[in-house]
Amino acid sequence: MLQGVAAGFGAALGGGLAPGLAHAAPRVGSAPKRVIFFLQNQGFDPATAIPAGMKNSGSLAKAKLPEPIEALEPYKERMQIINGLHGTHTSPSHSPFFGALGGYRGGDGVAPSASTIDYELSKVLPETLLPHLCVGMDSIENMKAKPTVANLSASGAGQPIFMHSNPNHLYEMLYGGISEGDIRKQHEARSGMFDRIELLARSKGNGLPESDKQRYGQYVQGFNDINVLRDRLGSVSAHLRKFAPEVDDGYANPEYETDWHDRILDLGISALKSGITSVLTIGSGRGEIFGAWKGLGVEQQGHNLGHMKQPNNPIWVKIRQYNSRMLVKLMEELDSVPEGSGTMMDNTLIVYTSNNADYQHTSGKNWPVILLGNYDGAFKTGCFTQLDGKRPINALYASILRASGVECDRFNMSEQLAAKFDSGTGPLKEILT
Amino acid sequence: MSKLALALAVAVLFPLGGTAFAGDVYLPGEKPKGDFGNFASVFLENHCFDCHDDETSEGNLNLLELGKVDETNAAVWKSIWAQVALEEMPPKKKKQPAVVDRLRFSDWIIGELAREMKDKGGFHAHKDPNKGNFLNHDLLFGPLPEGIRLQPTSSPARIWRVTPQEHITRLNELINLEPAYNPEKPGLRTRGDFVPTNHGGELKMYFGTDRIIKWEGGTVAYATAVKSVPVVLSSARKHGLENYPDFYSVNSSEATRILDKAEDILRFMAYGPLSLVGFPEQITDDPKTWDKVKPKGDLRGLPTAIVYNTKVSRPITPVYELMKEPNFTDENLGSAVNYVFEAVTFRPPSPKESDEYLKIVKDSIDKVGKENGVFMGLSAIFLDRDALFRPELGQGSKPDEYGRVILRDWELGLALNHALSYVRPDQELRKAVMEGRMRTREDVERELARMLEDEGLRKPRVLRFFRDFFDYDLGGYICKDNAALARTGVSSRGTSHYRAMFDATASTDRLIELILEKDKDVLKELLTTRQVVATGADKSYFGKKNSKLERDEALQAIKKAEEERLHDQTVAVETIEKEIEDLESKFHGESGYQVPLELLVNGSFSKVTFEEPDHWELEKGTLNQTELANGKVVGERGAVTLEQKFSKPIASKTKLIVKATRTDSSSNPIFFKAIWDNGSHSERIHPTIGQVELIVPDGKTMTGIQFNTRANLGVSEVSLREYTGVLKTLTQKRKSLAAAQKKLAQSKKNKGKTGNASVTQANLNGPRIYARVSRRSFGNGSMKPERTLATAPEGQRLGLLTHPSWLVSHSDAMDNHAILRGRWIREKLLGGGIPDVPITVDAMLPDEPNTSLRERMRVTREKYCWTCHEKMDPLGLPFETYNHAGLFRTTELDKPVDTSGEIIDSGDPALDGPVANAMEMIEKLAASERVEQVFVRHAFRFWMGRNETLNDAVVLQAAHKAYRASGGSMKALLSSLLTSDAFLYRKVER
Repeated sequence: MLQGVAAGFGAALGGGLAPGLAHAAPRVGSAPKRVIFFLQNQGFDPATAIPAGMKNSGSLAKAKLPEPIEALEPYKERMQIINGLHGTHTSPSHSPFFGALGGYRGGDGVAPSASTIDYELSKVLPETLLPHLCVGMDSIENMKAKPTVANLSASGAGQPIFMHSNPNHLYEMLYGGISEGDIRKQHEARSGMFDRIELLARSKGNGLPESDKQRYGQYVQGFNDINVLRDRLGSVSAHLRKFAPEVDDGYANPEYETDWHDRILDLGISALKSGITSVLTIGSGRGEIFGAWKGLGVEQQGHNLGHMKQPNNPIWVKIRQYNSRMLVKLMEELDSVPEGSGTMMDNTLIVYTSNNADYQHTSGKNWPVILLGNYDGAFKTGCFTQLDGKRPINALYASILRASGVECDRFNMSEQLAAKFDSGTGPLKEILT
Repeated sequence: MSKLALALAVAVLFPLGGTAFAGDVYLPGEKPKGDFGNFASVFLENHCFDCHDDETSEGNLNLLELGKVDETNAAVWKSIWAQVALEEMPPKKKKQPAVVDRLRFSDWIIGELAREMKDKGGFHAHKDPNKGNFLNHDLLFGPLPEGIRLQPTSSPARIWRVTPQEHITRLNELINLEPAYNPEKPGLRTRGDFVPTNHGGELKMYFGTDRIIKWEGGTVAYATAVKSVPVVLSSARKHGLENYPDFYSVNSSEATRILDKAEDILRFMAYGPLSLVGFPEQITDDPKTWDKVKPKGDLRGLPTAIVYNTKVSRPITPVYELMKEPNFTDENLGSAVNYVFEAVTFRPPSPKESDEYLKIVKDSIDKVGKENGVFMGLSAIFLDRDALFRPELGQGSKPDEYGRVILRDWELGLALNHALSYVRPDQELRKAVMEGRMRTREDVERELARMLEDEGLRKPRVLRFFRDFFDYDLGGYICKDNAALARTGVSSRGTSHYRAMFDATASTDRLIELILEKDKDVLKELLTTRQVVATGADKSYFGKKNSKLERDEALQAIKKAEEERLHDQTVAVETIEKEIEDLESKFHGESGYQVPLELLVNGSFSKVTFEEPDHWELEKGTLNQTELANGKVVGERGAVTLEQKFSKPIASKTKLIVKATRTDSSSNPIFFKAIWDNGSHSERIHPTIGQVELIVPDGKTMTGIQFNTRANLGVSEVSLREYTGVLKTLTQKRKSLAAAQKKLAQSKKNKGKTGNASVTQANLNGPRIYARVSRRSFGNGSMKPERTLATAPEGQRLGLLTHPSWLVSHSDAMDNHAILRGRWIREKLLGGGIPDVPITVDAMLPDEPNTSLRERMRVTREKYCWTCHEKMDPLGLPFETYNHAGLFRTTELDKPVDTSGEIIDSGDPALDGPVANAMEMIEKLAASERVEQVFVRHAFRFWMGRNETLNDAVVLQAAHKAYRASGGSMKALLSSLLTSDAFLYRKVER
């Protein structure tokens, strides 16, 4: 469903093609890097992330990961657990929404005040067809009633980016050209409509004054971009076919919300592996304070989940274990694709955290993060890094931008705010190699 | 080229020292003549090289080697343009170029920059409304120098993208029936008003919220469960005018999101809330019917947590008609196409357009069936050019002798409509266009006069102008440092400050509307009114930040008040206790002997005091009293009937009080039936708040009471006694006692924590009025429309510039923003211009806690900075009368606050001079004719969508004259502007 195209990526369509295909055109560095943000809602209690007894920075080699994330145990040498970032300036109690990835004050009903880190990265990473894909996981009712919502990512002030939650729509958007049955019909109907819209728009541009032609041209070009994208996706269908997930009954008839969560993840992974996108944002709970995981046997849902203490809580153990399995799947899948002298995962960074800092009603004094992958050697791995609580999440984002080849000392933080909220400047040296 | 060589070359070409075209008449807007060699270099040589050559290089700028405009030196040329246009350069002490030479040089630079940057993003600075003042005010309103000949004015032919707010208001019309204008409550949200931002300041459109009658969970759960769509079109506005036609296009991301949301809108148009819910049972007027069948578990935050009533509160349109039947005809498809087209473009489609879209819809239906095809196909209309851009191309008109065409028909009708409204033209304007009566100035005069007089026809564009002009709507978006905010004296808890600011914006909107209603000395009133539209929180925001001495006194007063309150509350409790004692004694004495206070017909069904049957009669099964008391019932629980017969029947006409309470945690009400002497039963009686009055009907006696629902198994106490006034009083007194005890306990708990010694609250009493707020967006935490029309404290406030909404909008995270405030005065009231901050300037004030802003601004007084800052700082510093949350203050950091300032080089010598504080400055400004003229210039920009040129002088002077002659009427100003050539005529720029 093409309507989702722009909903899931930033303000502009990419012009490049999949890495491995002829037109790949990295904008920075040589390695076709990619970044995945995985944000579980309701907070990420450090006790469920940090090996018991570990207080200071050090190697994870001899440490045992806590039960909720034990699935990551075999990947310890590829991970870095970071504790002691803060987000007090984001007003994170009940989620700062866009502020989590933007590093600015946010809240329910508060429009983004600037772009978010995922969007900024999508602009500087090697150009792909869809520079930025956002997906969201929620209760089945919410995913059906509101298949796109915008809570986490933004391309600028007042410019939210929508995340997809209906895997059927997402599938049509990505693989409509190679699909069958109803999805195929929808895809063709929408393609036909878009061609007609472009023609109509173009014809209404005739006779405009010279000064307006360029501005109106941008509008018409937008349709052209969309249609070109469809054509390009169609033209590389043989390539995409290798990565497209199989459409099974879980798409049309999910028993639990987790059936859709799994398929959304599959589609996200396929978009990365096929090179359609280089930045994937996953919002488990879609940045809000609700969400459901009945498929895991968690009968409770929504807000109450955030009121519970997470450590040693069977419900949260299940949810976090589910996240961890997803993270493992992401890594295994990306590891299965050769890239350069290694694999895709070698050039990938997965940022796993919560949009709600350490817990739901938090002041944001601590914002635990797990990094997976070293991003072509840029980030330390196999270690736990304890920071002093005086540097904001913005510094993490600045670090990723730096590792992506962007010269920046701060991300979305003025010097005036930094005087209050950041004890340092530039990237977090402690986490970089 | 060396300076000498260049000078020689110039001297040879132009021995008299003037420009090549000095003898020509200057026609503003004409294509500049000359090139760098024969024109610009002459100006530079005559006026710039003295200070900016390889010998002197003032400001580190050497213009000798500058050369013609190219990509690399464009920034320098832009700076030269700004300095020359603003008459900053040459410096005042130097010989000044002739006015015409200056204008020509400025035009030439703009022309060259536009040409050079054409394929490099273009040159737009001269079109920026914030640079409109680069054109000398006196040239527009004073006598013109020799050598200038004005041309009849017009605006360029153009397309004008709709604003985010216009767009969302337009879409909102499709799914929500807004209330009609109510003259009794004129501030309330009304059809035609803009869609207000929500509780968090986000512009969103809400689906079906007017039909919500119940939801589960709190405010956040509500906000998550309801369907809302954020605005799609982008806007880059921070301060100043938001929307010139040149500003925006629609990118591919926005286009696809519009399409996405269009389908949501169309589905809602067809099916209403049925398109939002998971179960049709959620749509009911009795939420209990949903309770019976809803899914189990915690539904908070889910669409299933909401119950919608069955009342239709959306427009019923041809889309509904089309989708209510399984089949379709060309006719109802066509109706839907035409309806949607006019709804989103504000004009009927041409037959060709109608056919095109009909074909798209049919093709979609062919491919994916009616249900999906209709919505997919119709959504294409939302992307029609005219749904997103409003054309002003002058189509159908012939050019006059100056090459101008007058707008006509729909272009003129929609231009006029857009000048006032966000919704489609009303029927009369539509009719005028359809009948060919929108083609002349007189046509516009006629329709405009009618529209201006019609209060029911809302005019959000007029209000938008004042928002853009004053910039008072940004306070909620200024992110405050919590500690700094707490020091201002207002609450820094949670989002209360931001909520207060969004409320303040709505309040200021309303105040402006009240002043516009009077339509007398509008600008002066806005600048000097003492009226305030206030919420409860405004008592603090319009209050006074106490000095140390006042704070100490306030603390003492609070302590004393707390003690007095405790004393009074203790006395109140004791008094009620005594009254109860007296009543009980009286009650006992009434019957002459001791009777139980409450006549129990059964207790927990195991201790009946009046009559104790051995067992209970049941329809089925046997009930053991002990089991009943333990909540166990033998038999079919659904059919249990508890019945209690009285030992003595109660006579007819006896007034009874029946009370029932329950042991279990159920919140279900307890129902009962009275049993009459003939064995029949009364209708089911529902005690409210556990108690009901019952009168035994005439001719009947009551012999018993019956409970016959399963839910009533929790009945523990039923009391029944003859009504006496004493009992009622006693009941009330007991309630009063409980309330008084609670209050007393609360006061004891809060001792030492009440009151805000930092602030003397403003007395803002007055009549109730209303302000326009969002649809319910945050459950019970949504914004409330109720306001008070009050008067600001004497000597502390004067007009909008002293209101927290404006002050906070011009503040930053930590403090006031005197520079921004000063800049506002300079640009919006004095008509001055400020060049862009040079990129070499590190525009930061030192971070020095416990130092006043005035002191930290010493860095702007350095010579390099002061040239610009003297235009702003002395105008902004008088507002140090207020802290950065907008509270009035007399001290800062425990010292008397310095509120002095100065109006420097305003262009009106009568205005210039020192001022003691903001209010003195405002009074001077409000009385100035020049300030009025500058206001008119801004109104011109807003309504014409462009900066004024010299050719617009006639229009501006006429508009100002109309404003003055009418005693400061906004309507008169608008009438003048909207019937001017600048509004009516378009010229295609070649």
